Amino acid sequence: MIRNYLKIAWRNLIKNKGITIINTVGLSLGICCFILIALFVTDEISYDRFHEKADQIYRINSDILFGGTEMHMAVSSDPMGATLKKDYPEVEEYTRIYASEGSKLIRKGTELIDEYAIAYVDSTFFNVFTFPALKGNPKIALKAPNTVVLSEKAAIKYFNGVDTAIGEALEVNNTLYKVTAIIEDMPKNSHFHLDVLLSMANVDYNFGDYLSHNFHTYIVLKEGTDYKKFNNNFREVIAKYSLPQISQFTNIKSIEDIESSGNKLEYSLIPLTDIHLHSTQNIELSTNGSIKYVYIFSAVALFILLIACTNFMNLTTARSSGRAKEVGIRKVLGTEKKSLVLQFLSESTLIVVLAHSIAIIFVFLSLEWFNNVSGKEISIKALLQPQFLIFLILLPFVVGPLAGIYPAFFLSKFQPISVLKGTLSKGGNKNSLRNFLVIFQFTTSIILIIGTIVVYQQLNHIQTTDVGFNKDQVLIVDNSGLTNETRKSLKSEIEQFPEVKSASFAGYIPVSQSARSDTTFNTGSVNTADNGFNMQYWRADYEYIETMGMELIAGRNFSRSFGTDSTAIIINEKAVALTGFEDPIGKKLYKTIGKDDKIVYTIIGVVKNFNFESLRQDVGPLSLRLGDNSWRTAYRFNTADVEGFISKIRNKYEAVSSELSFTYSFLDDSYLDMYQQEKRIGTIALIFTVLAVIIAALGLFGLATYIAEQRTKEIGIRKVLGASTAIIVKILSKDFIKLIVFAFCIATPIAWWFMSSWLRDFAFRIQLNWWVFALTGIITLLVAIITLSFQTIRAAVANPIKSLKTE
Amino acid sequence: MILRLNSASRVISSGGKKIALLDNINLAVKEGEFISLMGPSGSGKSTLLNCIGMLDSFTAGNYTFLDEEVHTLKEKQRSKLYKEYIGFVFQAYHLIDELNVYENIETPLLYKNVKSSERKALVADMLDRFNIVGKKDLFPAQLSGGQQQLVGIARALISKPKLILADEPTGNLNSKQSTEIMELFSELNKDGVTIIQATHSEKNSSYGSRIINLLDGRIVSE
Repeated sequence: MIRNYLKIAWRNLIKNKGITIINTVGLSLGICCFILIALFVTDEISYDRFHEKADQIYRINSDILFGGTEMHMAVSSDPMGATLKKDYPEVEEYTRIYASEGSKLIRKGTELIDEYAIAYVDSTFFNVFTFPALKGNPKIALKAPNTVVLSEKAAIKYFNGVDTAIGEALEVNNTLYKVTAIIEDMPKNSHFHLDVLLSMANVDYNFGDYLSHNFHTYIVLKEGTDYKKFNNNFREVIAKYSLPQISQFTNIKSIEDIESSGNKLEYSLIPLTDIHLHSTQNIELSTNGSIKYVYIFSAVALFILLIACTNFMNLTTARSSGRAKEVGIRKVLGTEKKSLVLQFLSESTLIVVLAHSIAIIFVFLSLEWFNNVSGKEISIKALLQPQFLIFLILLPFVVGPLAGIYPAFFLSKFQPISVLKGTLSKGGNKNSLRNFLVIFQFTTSIILIIGTIVVYQQLNHIQTTDVGFNKDQVLIVDNSGLTNETRKSLKSEIEQFPEVKSASFAGYIPVSQSARSDTTFNTGSVNTADNGFNMQYWRADYEYIETMGMELIAGRNFSRSFGTDSTAIIINEKAVALTGFEDPIGKKLYKTIGKDDKIVYTIIGVVKNFNFESLRQDVGPLSLRLGDNSWRTAYRFNTADVEGFISKIRNKYEAVSSELSFTYSFLDDSYLDMYQQEKRIGTIALIFTVLAVIIAALGLFGLATYIAEQRTKEIGIRKVLGASTAIIVKILSKDFIKLIVFAFCIATPIAWWFMSSWLRDFAFRIQLNWWVFALTGIITLLVAIITLSFQTIRAAVANPIKSLKTE
Repeated sequence: MILRLNSASRVISSGGKKIALLDNINLAVKEGEFISLMGPSGSGKSTLLNCIGMLDSFTAGNYTFLDEEVHTLKEKQRSKLYKEYIGFVFQAYHLIDELNVYENIETPLLYKNVKSSERKALVADMLDRFNIVGKKDLFPAQLSGGQQQLVGIARALISKPKLILADEPTGNLNSKQSTEIMELFSELNKDGVTIIQATHSEKNSSYGSRIINLLDGRIVSE
């Protein structure tokens, strides 16, 4: 029986080649998108699940509000982990990662390599996390000071192999560490990727400070512990351990004091497997994904698949008259409705299986490109994982019936008597469900188009908006590994180049993921709970403001002609607002150091607010004080020959040290790097929008073909009666255009709502413009009219004699 | 007695007016009869055939088919009944274009869940009997009208019906083909198959054992 169905199905496919191609291409594009997005989503939700205790591991997050500055951090204080383990039996184990010092120089032969994937970790690291060992026993490898565990990649990088690395000494920032174990490279779907794990015993840190937050701390809770309930314990911990330290330099004595002064000190656990998609904390070990984009892309995948299925439904029901006769005969011959439904379902499944096979080929071909676009590293292997394989095999048997169920019922309900008598109305264009489906397709397409345009507008806004500093033509050169004297002499030599307009030691640069430090200031000489506030505390030199292209709006810059500028401070507008000073110039700010000692700063200038974090965040309070932070040198230059300029600087650097690699970046590139995710989203959205529109247009094309065919006779008669080609085209297009206008009316408010909420993520954002919507409407109409015109014009210019003769 | 109609009527409303397509039909058909329904276009021949074939239903009166009260049956039971006992032959043949001769003839057996080996034997017999073995792989479009109608009759016979309903079976055929088809019906009738045909042709009607004349939905003479 099934064979008989498939035979008929196959012959039908061959007979209607045009429709078959439209259906197959549409469905395979749809399925291809669906699979790619499914791979993307599967990868996103697989993060950190490979640890044996993945469900029991939690990280401690810190949320602090102090003096108007809010901090949401992925790090916690150094004693927190140990304290929890000591006081609460539910805590089985803890471990910390200390990565605050950033990159380190590692020697390989005569060369010094700047290693970024490096951190100090507790010896308990491997009791908490699961990273299989290749050599040695990681669980005991980091107990002693001066020990290091390497990843396979690092072992090959520094020792040319795993076997040659074990037991050897690795020189990190001039200190020797013994390689005691080698682990497999950390999987891509881990929220941190470290290649060099140094023993925590080597960290030079003022341990025991509950108020400094610099350690990524993870704990393992006993199975079955409710972590949300566990969170209630943190108040006790704060009262017992943090408050005594706070009260040393403020008049805060209780948690109630903290709250009543409008401040906040809170800790909470986040499940390890939630970090990648749900964490919105700062100071993460690597850039996280976002559950929002997982939802958005899942929805887009589903909608594209539905658009493709909708094509199938529309085209199948539109040409139902072609199948009606067969249905009638089969019914007369004794078939039941059930088996007809089954027959049509097996037909739709057949075409979906066909499209599915093509889609899988598309996926194979486009995977590398998709990885580029999405920033993922999904391998073909991911497709062959058992769960995904089952998904792939089952997919056509879900999509097939999904696409076929409506046509199946539509076709199988024909009464044989009306078919055989010939009184059955031809599929016609007055099918409300078909209209609904066309509206659905175009509503989705219009929402996607508007979304894409808005994302691109916001990206453009990010690139062109005034961020308070001039990011163009600034070169930033890395100085790590050089002595302070060399840095200074290089700077003064390069400053003489005609291309250089100004030069500055700029350890702090106004893009995120660079050096930061913040501290507490008080506006009065006696600390009270409400005269303190927290702000960024950057060292800058005399040329910093000029080199960065920032603007002073009051007072003056640091100047060599003033001897007192070592206690001068320049603050931004936001900080002025926090101090409450009406005329800030000349006012004092107090910074507590130690128990009773204070530095008194005098405000000499106010710098216009500049965005030193991404535009998602508002500008925070910031201060500049005089001092060299010579990790990096920034050069503002003006030349057309950038390559030549760089090679001149490179020569200077390589002349002083042949072991160091010359590393540089441009400020505007680093700035754009903050928006990688948005850029990716933009590209992905663009691609899927184009695909969705293509699929919808294909469907429209197919539908127009059938409508034109069905109305051949009508067109013939109209032409004989004197209708012009233009009038015929109008008659044929009118109904579709109405549907698209209707779709536009539905899509606009939905898109408006979605994009407003997307834009809300950005403190600095564009306004939604009416012309975006108008433009989208026009684009959609144009696509539709062009698509329709292939068919309508052909039908309209056909010789009426022919069409009338056939009747 | 194969079927009996008692004051059977079919009335439809069209544009607010009631039109009787069939009006008070009384008819009894015995097994082995060969009945020809005659009458001008619109006299109700086809409607009567469709109603007897249960593709359409009477709106009033009683219809008994093989001791079953058809007018009281549900759609599903009716469909089971005609599937089992009735074969249809159409003026326009109504073969499935996408199936070849062999498959067209085989189709009714598929719906009766006949085993594959048995199906093969039955279809082969039928092809043999109608002398169309050589054409079994051709598609309807590749056959002449007469040949298509042969296939249509073969398909109607394959499930061994008690009754064959033929609506102008030779309406689209030339006289030579017509004669062949009518002779075939005669033979089938001799083998015991009950046949009711609707026809315009005096000549065709003469093959039957009984002629019923219809006019405006009523039996006018017998």
